[in-house]
Amino acid sequence: MFGPSALLYALIGLTIVLIATVAFRPAITTGAAGKILAFTALFLLPALCVAAGVSAHMERSHETRFCISCHSMENYGKSLYVDDPHYIPAAHFQNHRVPADSACNACHADYSVYGNLKDKMVGMKRVYMQFVSKPPNPIRIEGGFKNNQCLHCHLGARSFEEGPTHQTMMDSLKSGDVSCISSGCHDTVHNAAQVDQQKMWRPAQ
Amino acid sequence: MSLRTIGLRRYLQVSGILIILGLVVELFSLIWFHPLAFVLFAFLGASMMGLGMIVYLASIVFISEPRVDRRSTN
Repeated sequence: MFGPSALLYALIGLTIVLIATVAFRPAITTGAAGKILAFTALFLLPALCVAAGVSAHMERSHETRFCISCHSMENYGKSLYVDDPHYIPAAHFQNHRVPADSACNACHADYSVYGNLKDKMVGMKRVYMQFVSKPPNPIRIEGGFKNNQCLHCHLGARSFEEGPTHQTMMDSLKSGDVSCISSGCHDTVHNAAQVDQQKMWRPAQ
Repeated sequence: MSLRTIGLRRYLQVSGILIILGLVVELFSLIWFHPLAFVLFAFLGASMMGLGMIVYLASIVFISEPRVDRRSTN
């Protein structure tokens, strides 16, 4: 019935009420119980609210609608609806090969140990480019798109492993010597500049 | 004005106001669905709450209540 957001809002509300009580009626903090209440209200609960807030923002940043809420990402969002199976992101998104509500994150997340942190740093840089400097056109991924992001899901999958083309170049794919998306195989990706000229898929409501 | 003379009451109020403002900013950032919402939360909300908590901890360290001598004086 109550989601994590409702719990967080309730926690913030409770913390505000307790802080107001302690800060504006300091007489209640004279006893041991009052001191514990003050410590809880002015330190423990705010620290919990900060941690929960960071977690909520991190979760939200994985959502597709969050990624495409920047104007410069609009066409990349539209490309998920292109009615052409050769468009790799569209084929993954429309057929739920990746979760539709976190489609960008599924293919662009850094799956290494500190990947989430690295992703957030890159995200902050992009926010800076969007609102302070100027986003590059076309938008390029620093260091290029890594095969590991495809292999995170496809490696071990029967259709991928038994594909004759994949079998012959498996080592090169794993080492990244041959790119999945820029070696003439799966090279129709977002194609954001031409997305407005494409036929679009309209999902049934 | 020394830290002691400012008083525990003022410290608690300053700390409380800072934390409440930080929490209001956090609440707003959670409702506002925009890439800048996290920036607002991290740089304004969390900073205010952090500062408020530091003020409260400083009040514990620097403001000590006068000891009540409970021993009998007769």
